[in-house]
Amino acid sequence: MQARWLLALAGVLIVGAFVVTRTVDNRYVYFAAYGILQYVLLATAWNILGGYTGYVNFGTGAFFALGAYTSVFLIQAVQAPLVVLIVAGGLVSGLLGFGIGYLTLRLRGVFFSIATLALAVVLETMMVNWEYVGGAKGISIIRPSAGPLFTNYVQLLFVVMAALAMGAVAVAWFIEHSRIGRGFATIRDNEEAAECMGVPTLRLKLLATTVSGCLMGIAGAPFPYYITFVEPVSAFNLSYAVNSLAMPMVGGTTSWVGPIIGAVLLGTLQQLATVTISSELNLLIVGVVLVAFVVLAPEGILGLLRRGTRRTRA
Amino acid sequence: MMRRWPVVGVLIAAAFALSCVGDAGAQATKQPIRIGFGMALTGGLAANGQGALLAMQIWRDDVNKAGGLLGRPVEFTYYDDQTNGSTVPGIYTKLLDVDKVDLVVSGYGTNLIAPAMPIVMERKLLFMGLFGLGNNEKHKYSRYFQIAPNGPNPAGSFSEGFFELAARQNPKPKTTALVGDDAEFPQHALVGAREHAKRLGIQVVYDKTYPPSTVDYTPIVRAIKATNPDIVFVASYPPGSTGMILAAQEVGLEPKMFGGGMVGLHFTSLLTKLGPKLNGIVDYGFWVPEPTMKSPGVEAFLQKYQPAAVKAGVDPLGFYLPPWAYAMMQVLGQAIEATKGLDQQKLAEYIHAKEFDTVVGKVKFGPDGEWLKHRTVAMQFQNIKGNDVEQFRQPGKQVVLWPDEFKSGNLIYPYSAARK
Repeated sequence: MQARWLLALAGVLIVGAFVVTRTVDNRYVYFAAYGILQYVLLATAWNILGGYTGYVNFGTGAFFALGAYTSVFLIQAVQAPLVVLIVAGGLVSGLLGFGIGYLTLRLRGVFFSIATLALAVVLETMMVNWEYVGGAKGISIIRPSAGPLFTNYVQLLFVVMAALAMGAVAVAWFIEHSRIGRGFATIRDNEEAAECMGVPTLRLKLLATTVSGCLMGIAGAPFPYYITFVEPVSAFNLSYAVNSLAMPMVGGTTSWVGPIIGAVLLGTLQQLATVTISSELNLLIVGVVLVAFVVLAPEGILGLLRRGTRRTRA
Repeated sequence: MMRRWPVVGVLIAAAFALSCVGDAGAQATKQPIRIGFGMALTGGLAANGQGALLAMQIWRDDVNKAGGLLGRPVEFTYYDDQTNGSTVPGIYTKLLDVDKVDLVVSGYGTNLIAPAMPIVMERKLLFMGLFGLGNNEKHKYSRYFQIAPNGPNPAGSFSEGFFELAARQNPKPKTTALVGDDAEFPQHALVGAREHAKRLGIQVVYDKTYPPSTVDYTPIVRAIKATNPDIVFVASYPPGSTGMILAAQEVGLEPKMFGGGMVGLHFTSLLTKLGPKLNGIVDYGFWVPEPTMKSPGVEAFLQKYQPAAVKAGVDPLGFYLPPWAYAMMQVLGQAIEATKGLDQQKLAEYIHAKEFDTVVGKVKFGPDGEWLKHRTVAMQFQNIKGNDVEQFRQPGKQVVLWPDEFKSGNLIYPYSAARK
């Protein structure tokens, strides 16, 4: 797919999301769709580091929550508008990604993953003790007016999240189809060999952690207006880390399409589980699907499709 | 003769149409009243959430046996919020937009009430809250009512009895240690404890929190012991409550009063686990089986609840939360019957205006939807022998000390005397 076609498609989808707000009155649709789109964004962000470069990040919750808490801080301090919250959330989490990338350069494999997990614990402890953003008690956020284009704020959040998710997919597509993406792939396949061949692995890893962190922070920035009560347990919830890892694994980690497939599939399943069979089956579903894919289809749905196509041609 | 047939036909058709209308009318009036909510059935608050759900189901069955509300049966539509606030907005919009419930009430706890507030406010719905702390402080929403008897100053209500009792002792304690979890309720309770200590002229010599994930409490207790406080106020969730009690007894921390805002000590699991180790601890309480707290209907409710709870595998005594969940629904039910409808504004106005008779006693709400006057009591565990659950059904084990109107016994002071 060419870049202009992808951009055109993203534009059509965003406009489509806006048109939906004119025709569908059922607000549950927006809440459910927001949740799924948020996971499209998070899974895509995770995949840039975890899928393309092979560095597994267990700290998605930390980057997401940092975006959310940056918003809380700015809402408390200056009642900043949503656009500013998104930009600031992305910048702060991107900066954290850069810092983590720099500090953990010597760590590979499971040790890098443990470091990201520790990051979430450290950040959560900081937020628990920072009274200005609610501390352990949490903080209520009152939504501003939705403006003239939307009848309620949830519609606005839905369109914004749709645009952000499309933006993240576009970034992933660009990386995958550029020299940067090929550089990432060499790190994933064999970092030492890549280094010997002159691939600037250090710079590329920093770029991957920064872009991935930035997108996760962007996903978290509208969260305070979505939930209207931010407290550390929800913001740093383990489900963000588990889902953003599982979704690309299910969809396929080597392509920008994989996280979308995984997020739509698992996100929808979870939404359905919440309002039908209910309970913690949500995470059980993710766990079972993840194990099944790791064992039976390690390249995800995309891998299965590729295999199927090859067989048909043969 | 033949001319009469059209007339007869019209009459038959009219009778049939009328009977259909009659049927439809009767069916419309018998349409169930559907009440929707999210509830913590899994996750951190599940043990209490399941008990609350059971109590609400008992209320529903009681009401339906008595002919329903406004002659209509009551039905529940509920979902598990997994003790995760981020699921709450989706659940309540689903309840309102897809399930089309008539009324919504909250799930259990502050963090799960808060995300539902903007949704109910946007639609101007009546919203009954189950054990939320200060959820309406910012919103000042006139259709929100909260059933826990925290009163207009929720943060202070948990510690008032503890410090008032301390101030009555002779000689009056001069110093206190304040310690608690880095979590929502304990942080609120500590704010109130600081206020009361200051008001009563008790010097704070230790004021620290610990992470909820703490496993070893002995360093915290040793640090408190080093400051030698006269009394120790602990604000904790169940793991912290257990950990602090065990660590205090291991280290030999024996202030003149110990306890205050320890959640979980009223749960059967902790009562039977800690047994005699609870003796002497002063804690807050909402309802305990003391003669001074008996209210009409509470025993009948517990007689239904306790066997059902054993079957369902939830808290078998059910003194802490279930009566309040039942009372919350009683308030709603009484308001529906009195206003003869489901008009949210009329219901809210009625609940503001009236006092309600419930299984937890008389309930009257103030302008912010909290109880007009707080009714949180201070109680002391006394004379507990062994770990048998049956003893906790009897009075004299969780003795109410404060306020005076509910007092059922005297404080054993100091703490060490109660432990003998």
